Amino acid sequence: MQGVIDREWIVKKTLFTLAMITVLGIVLLIFFVARESIPAFTEAGPVNLFSATWNPGNGQYGMLVFLTGTLATTAGGLLLGTPLAIGSALFLTQMAPRRARSIMTRGVELLAGVPSIVLGWLGFTIMVPWIRSATGSTGTGILAASIILAIMVIPTITTISKDALEAVPESHLQAAYAMGATRWQTIRRVLLPAAKPGLLVAVILGMGRAIGETMAVALVIGPASVFPKSLTSPTHTLTTKILIEMGESTGVQRSSLFAMGLVLLLLSMLLILLVRLVSRQKETMR
Amino acid sequence: MTKKRLGLITAVSLAVALILTFAAVGCGESNDQPVEPDEPKLSGTLDLSGSTTVLPLAQEAADMFMDENPDVTVNVQGGGSSVGISNVAEGVVDIGNASRGLKDEEKGLGLEDHEIALDVIVVIVHGDVPVEDLTADQVFDIFTGKVTNWKDVGGPDQAINVVVRDEASGTREMFDEKALKKEAPLAGAIETNSNGIMRQTVSSTPFSIGYISLGYLDSSVKAVKYDGVEGSKETAVDKTYPLSRYLHMFTEGEATGLAEAFIAFVLSDNFQDEVVSEEYIPMTEI
Amino acid sequence: MSTDLKTGVEIARPSVEVVGDLCEFKDSRIEGIIQQSIARNEKRAHFYDRVATVTVWTLSIIGLGILAFIIFVILYRGIATALTPGFIFGKPQALKEGGGIWPMIVSSFYLALLTIAIVLPLGVGAAVYLTEFSREGRITRLVRFGADSLSTVPSVVFGIFGMVLFVIYFGLGYSLLAGAFTLALLNMPTVMRTTEEAIKAVPHSYREACLSLGASRWETAKKIVLPSAMPGITTGVVLTVGRIVGESAAVLYTVGLFVRKVPVSPLQPAAPMAANIWHMYTEGALVSDWMRVANGEAAFLLLVVLVLNLGARLIARIYQKRLGMVS
Repeated sequence: MQGVIDREWIVKKTLFTLAMITVLGIVLLIFFVARESIPAFTEAGPVNLFSATWNPGNGQYGMLVFLTGTLATTAGGLLLGTPLAIGSALFLTQMAPRRARSIMTRGVELLAGVPSIVLGWLGFTIMVPWIRSATGSTGTGILAASIILAIMVIPTITTISKDALEAVPESHLQAAYAMGATRWQTIRRVLLPAAKPGLLVAVILGMGRAIGETMAVALVIGPASVFPKSLTSPTHTLTTKILIEMGESTGVQRSSLFAMGLVLLLLSMLLILLVRLVSRQKETMR
Repeated sequence: MTKKRLGLITAVSLAVALILTFAAVGCGESNDQPVEPDEPKLSGTLDLSGSTTVLPLAQEAADMFMDENPDVTVNVQGGGSSVGISNVAEGVVDIGNASRGLKDEEKGLGLEDHEIALDVIVVIVHGDVPVEDLTADQVFDIFTGKVTNWKDVGGPDQAINVVVRDEASGTREMFDEKALKKEAPLAGAIETNSNGIMRQTVSSTPFSIGYISLGYLDSSVKAVKYDGVEGSKETAVDKTYPLSRYLHMFTEGEATGLAEAFIAFVLSDNFQDEVVSEEYIPMTEI
Repeated sequence: MSTDLKTGVEIARPSVEVVGDLCEFKDSRIEGIIQQSIARNEKRAHFYDRVATVTVWTLSIIGLGILAFIIFVILYRGIATALTPGFIFGKPQALKEGGGIWPMIVSSFYLALLTIAIVLPLGVGAAVYLTEFSREGRITRLVRFGADSLSTVPSVVFGIFGMVLFVIYFGLGYSLLAGAFTLALLNMPTVMRTTEEAIKAVPHSYREACLSLGASRWETAKKIVLPSAMPGITTGVVLTVGRIVGESAAVLYTVGLFVRKVPVSPLQPAAPMAANIWHMYTEGALVSDWMRVANGEAAFLLLVVLVLNLGARLIARIYQKRLGMVS
C-alpha cells in the first residue's frame, strides 16, 4: 500500500512540475527579454527610448514611430476585420442553413491555419502592386498592413464571438421570437446585448493577434523608420523592426530592440488582464 | 477497446523515445555521406553564422567543401553580421560571416579578418529618369535631402523619390560612409530590407533613386555613373570607382584546423573564379 | 397584440398605452390610426430585418471569398510555375536558377516532430494535473494565467527569447533543437487546452467506476481518462503540427533560414519552408527565379497546412464514429 501512495505522490509532483512550466516559461521569457534590454534603459534612458527619432548612428533609439505603427495597423485591422468577423459569427449562429454553416465553419478553420508568411507573400506579390497602381505610392504601409491584419484577425474574432453568441440561452431568443420580434430585432435587442462581454473578449484577443503579428506585416509595411505621411507610405511596427534589425545590430541598438520586445510583452499581458476583467464582469452580470 | 488505446499511447511514447534516441545518436555523429576512404584527412564539424548577404556564398562553399571532404559537416546559418561577429567571439561558432568591417566596440574582441569578396554598389534610378551621370556631390545632395527635384540635377521637373537600405544593412553602412560622408540620409526616404526589394521598389516607383549590389543589377532598373565612372568589376579593381565593400569571414584569433582549411578553400582560385565571380569581384582579381 | 408591440418595436410603445386607454371607447377612427402605425412599424421592422439579413450574408460571403481567393491564387501560382517533382525533391540553389526545396520540407517536418516530442508530455501532463490532480484554486489559476500569457506573446518575441536562452545561453547554436524548445513553449498552451477540453469531455461515470474499484487516481487517468481523451488530443496535436510548420518569426533566429543539405542531427541548423520564404524575399534575388521558388514553397506550405487541417477533422470524425459504436 505504501508503494502505491508513494507512486501517486511522485506522479502528482511530476505533473505539477509539468504544469508549472507554463509559469516558468513566461517568467523566463520576461526575465531574459528584460535582462537584454537593461543596457538600453541604463545607457540610452527611458526618455530617449520613447522619443520619436530612431537614429542609432546618432545615439537616438526612439521607438515612438514603431509603437505608433503597431497601434495604427492594429486599429486598422480591427476596423476592417471586426464587422466581417462578427457578421460571420452571426451568420453561423443565427442565419446559416445547415449546409452553409458547415462550409463557413470549415472556412474559418482553414483561414486560421493559413501561415502568416504565406499571407504576407500574397500581400507583397498581389495586394501591394494593386495599391501601388491605384494610389501611385509605393503601395506599402498602414493600409496594406491593415488589410492583411484584418484577414488574420477574422478567424480569432469569429470563433470566440461565435462561442459568445452560442452561450446566450436559447430561451431568451425564443421568448423574443414568441413575442413576434423579427430576427434582426431579436439579434439587436436580445442577442447582442447579452453576448456583449464575450464579443468584447473576442475583439481584445483579435487585438492581441494583430499586435503580435510579424511576418505578414513585415512584407507589406514598407519599411521606413519614420512616421508615415499617409496610409500608403512606408513605416514600421514594433514586431517588424525587431525582426529586421535584430541580426544586424549590436550594443545599445540591439538592447533597445529587446526593450521593444519588452513593450510588446507588456502590451500582451495588459490585454490578458483586460480579458480577465471583462470576463469577471460577465460573471457578475449573470 | 482500452487495450487498443493503450497501444496508441505506447505508440506515441515509443515514437517520442525513438526521436530522442535519434537525437542523441544524431549529435554524436552525422555522417550520412557515402564515405570515400581514399584520403580521410579532414573530419569534424564546422559552424558558421552571420550575414545573410554572405549566406548564399558560404552555403555554396560549404556544399563543395563537404563534397571534397566527406567526413566534414559544415553548418552555415544566417542571423546577421552582428550576430555572426558576436557568435564567433563567444565561441558559439567557428567562423562569423559579415558584410561589414568591425565596429569600434568589436575591435577589441581579438577577431581575425578574412576578406573573401568585393561587393560593388551602384546607384540606380527608375527607367523613366533621363539622367545618366551624377557627381558625388549630387548624390550626396539627393540622398541627404538637399536636392529634392530632378530638374536640379539635369532631369525633368519631378520630385525625387529616394530609396535607401534599412539601418541594419551593411550596404547602407558602406553607402552612408562613403557617399554620404557619414551623414544620415533624409528622414522621409523609403527603406528596403534587401537588394531584391530595393531593385523592385526602384523599378516600380516613378522618379526614384536607390543603390544595390552589382550582382543584383538587371534590366528592370537603370544604373547611373558615379562621378563619371561606371560601377563595374574593372573600375572597382583599378580603384577609380569608390563605392565598394568587402565581405568578411571572421575567426577568433588565427584560423586553425577546419576553419583554416575552409577559408583557404573559399579563397582558392577555383572557388573564387567559379562561384564568387558570378555575383561579386573575386579576391583573385584584386 | 399589445405584448407583441411592447417587445417588438420601440417606437410603438406609446401607442400601446393609447390602445389600453381607449379600448373601452372602441373609437374606430383612432383604432384605425393605431392599426396603421402598427402596420407601418411592422413593415419597417421587416425592412430592417431584410437589410440585416442581406448584410450578414454579404459579410460572410466576402469572408469566404477572401479565403477562396487566397487559396486559389497561392495554389494556382505554385502549381502552374513550380510544383514539379524536380522542384519538390530538388536541391536548393544559392547562386543559380532551378533550385528545389527538399531540405526545407524535411526541415519543417523534422522541426515539427521534435517540437511535438517535447510539447506533448508537457502539455498533456499539465492538462492531467489541472483536471485530475488539483482543485480549482490559486495554483490552477496561476497555471492558467501562465498559459494565457504565453499564448498571447508575439512569436517574434519568442524568437528573440529562444535566441538568447537556447541558441546562446545553452549553446545549442542555430539548430533544430533550439527551435523545437522555443516552439514547444510557444505551443504548450494550445496543447494543454485542447487536452484539457478532451479530458473534460470524458464522462464522470467512467472515472467513478474506476476509482470505486480501488484504482488510484493516476491509474484512472492512465487507463481510463487519457485513452478516452485520445481523439481530442490527437486532433490537437495534428493542428499543432500545422501551426509549427507555418511558424516563421520564432524560427528565423533559432533554427535558420537557408540550407542546401537535408539536416540530419537535431543540433544542425535547418531551414523550414516558412523561414525560407522570408529568406527568398530578403536575399533570394541573387537568382533570377527567386519568385518562382517562393511561389512554389508558399503553395506547398499551404497544401501541407490544408491537408493537416482536413486530416485533423478526419481523425476526429473516425474516432467519434468508433466511440459512438462503443457507447
